[in-house]
Amino acid sequence: MKALLRYLPLVLLAVMWEAAPRLNLVDARSLPPLSAVAAAWWRLLIDRDLASNGLSSLGNLTAGLLLGVVIGAALGVLMAWYRPLDDLVHPLVKALYPMPKSALIPVMILWFGLGAGSKIASIFLGCLLPAVLSAYNGARGVDRVLVWSALAAGASHRAVLWEVVVPAAMPDILAGVRTALALSFILLVASEFLIGQTGMGYLISFLGEGGAYDAMFAGVLTVAFVGFLADRIFLAVMRRALIWRE
Amino acid sequence: MAGVTRFLMRSALIVALIAAWEIAARLHLVSAFLLPSFVSVARRLVADTLSGQLPLGLGLSLYRSLAGFALAGVLGIVIGILIARVKLARWFFDPLVSVGMPMPKIAFLPIFILWFGVFDQSKILMAAFSSVFPVIVAAWAGTENVERVLLWSARGLGASERRLLWEVALPAAFPQIMTGLQVALPIAVVTEIVSEMALGGQGLGGNMMQSMRFADSPGVFGGIVAIAIAGSALVKAMDLIRRRLLIWHPEAAAG
Amino acid sequence: MAGTEIAFEEVSHTYRPPRGKPVLALDRVSLKVREREFMALLGPSGCGKSTLLYLLGGFLPVEQGRISVGGRPVTGPGSDRGIVFQNFALFPWKTVRQNILYGLEKQRMPRDARLRRAQEFIDLVHLSGFEDSYPSQLSGGMKQRVAIARTLAIDPATLLMDEPFGALDAQTRGLMHEELLGIIERAPKTVVFVTHDVREAVYLADRVAVMSARPGRIKEIVETGHTGRPPPEIVKSREFIDKLDYLWDSVRQEALVAQTEKRLQR
Repeated sequence: MKALLRYLPLVLLAVMWEAAPRLNLVDARSLPPLSAVAAAWWRLLIDRDLASNGLSSLGNLTAGLLLGVVIGAALGVLMAWYRPLDDLVHPLVKALYPMPKSALIPVMILWFGLGAGSKIASIFLGCLLPAVLSAYNGARGVDRVLVWSALAAGASHRAVLWEVVVPAAMPDILAGVRTALALSFILLVASEFLIGQTGMGYLISFLGEGGAYDAMFAGVLTVAFVGFLADRIFLAVMRRALIWRE
Repeated sequence: MAGVTRFLMRSALIVALIAAWEIAARLHLVSAFLLPSFVSVARRLVADTLSGQLPLGLGLSLYRSLAGFALAGVLGIVIGILIARVKLARWFFDPLVSVGMPMPKIAFLPIFILWFGVFDQSKILMAAFSSVFPVIVAAWAGTENVERVLLWSARGLGASERRLLWEVALPAAFPQIMTGLQVALPIAVVTEIVSEMALGGQGLGGNMMQSMRFADSPGVFGGIVAIAIAGSALVKAMDLIRRRLLIWHPEAAAG
Repeated sequence: MAGTEIAFEEVSHTYRPPRGKPVLALDRVSLKVREREFMALLGPSGCGKSTLLYLLGGFLPVEQGRISVGGRPVTGPGSDRGIVFQNFALFPWKTVRQNILYGLEKQRMPRDARLRRAQEFIDLVHLSGFEDSYPSQLSGGMKQRVAIARTLAIDPATLLMDEPFGALDAQTRGLMHEELLGIIERAPKTVVFVTHDVREAVYLADRVAVMSARPGRIKEIVETGHTGRPPPEIVKSREFIDKLDYLWDSVRQEALVAQTEKRLQR
């Protein structure tokens, strides 16, 4: 009940979205009524446009995100644990950090052509640094008495890394993954706008160019909603994984 | 002396990387297409600067980004403060912000194109739309978290509600608002550049895409260098502004 | 239980902060702890007593001097020297049982034996019923009991304790004293106990080593006049009170020196 009340403004906006174009308060071409958008969404679904492009998007997103986050987190933890690695890699990380990764999409196109490769590469690069930094900070912040307690319990140095440092750094690592998740959606859509061929971003711009605005709106809302949902789902997963906190 | 040594050590890696870049290109370890030599990129940047191409592109991109950022800043602060202080505003905006925050705002670009065309307007508004959310959240949190004790003391001294807002609440919320603005700026810049890439036209992003279409890799890489430098310069500038404006804040004394 | 006598020979330690000047924390400390003795390291804050303990535990490298346990030099951490820290150092993502099982898993004990032994120690420290709780759900006293159980479960020959009851309130501390003494009475160990609380030192320990202000040296070693678990009335005895006063004064002198040092440095 409370959730309903909280999201009531959205319901009101939906009502206005339906009413305004129908009452000619806004141009129905620029803002098709919500029901028309819904109908177009349904058509996209039946025509399998949604499925094929959606799957392509999801596939590229998952690939880029997983690669970026796993490699990034591992790198971050190892950098925190082995000083020589840190000295070597850290300046590079710091130099690359302010670089907006979406600006690298044209380079990815140059290197990997117009296809899934450049999309995945762009997403990978975007997710890498947040994962590295959050894992690094998390691992560095581990209280040394935890490490010492493990050593005094008979653990080897390597065991301590995976059995103590990584779990202790998990809250930070997961926060970094959440950031990377949001960035991955942005890079996915941006790269699909620029590279095209397939995917939700491509579908949306294709529909827009073709004048099928109600379907275009349907596509945009789908992507936006999936992005929102992914964040919420991840939050729930994060809370479950970190249930041991206060 | 120690400061200079550390600076030299840190730049050592960058210098080494640039040297490696140049050597790899010279030795043709990678094709000049994939990785143009550092020298050729540098030469291109100089040429573009002299011809006016780079300053024009930079200026246009900056103009659009900053316009969008300014819009987001003003709107964001106003809405954020409203949410914190007016129950109706809070009821209305809370779901919008909480749902809108994790959405990839760039997905709305085609809608902005439909409504505002393919020129400056849509790029500016797109940048504003993307960057307004962190400002709203920061202004909201900053205003809401103003220490109650601070407000009670001021009220006790007889301050009116309006004075309370302008002379106590806002200055106290300022550090957080400033942080929100600092988060929003890079978002505005990046969104604007991506919009340019998609829409074309003159600008750092637009020029980059143009170079890419002509397989002009020194142009593409030159664009990256320009964006990177412009980006860091803006971030540094914000940092300096923050330090100057927040000189009274304890964090300034600490840092 | 042969070979747990501890010998510190001319141990010095320099603390090197990442920024700033190196500081001599310990200056040629020499000390012998007998087998199964309860030795308290007493001194003002900053005197290096914890550092000495960490060196003994093998967590910090011994750069100058020599530390040996049972004649063998200390080269690193090991399960023969269990440690209990002031802030408990429990693995927050593990339950009580999982925390205690950690060391047992390292010893490659078979599963059933592990679980049984862990339960034994959970019961020993009166935490039955809380096996599946997380540290964030426990009080300070309970957390410290888990920490002690975790360390004792692997049966280290030597027990190192770094102000273990410092974070607890006075009542809980008193209860923990009795529990600790009872546990040691049942399974005797060599104990090195760091504290700045004079009363705690005199009550628990057989001997008290007073450390000087930084750089830490052994100022004097005092016998407390009792070994093992003292009868509770001892705290009212003349000898106890005299020892207390004497040591209190000794530590106080060092604390004043430390404070003057700080003022001079500013």
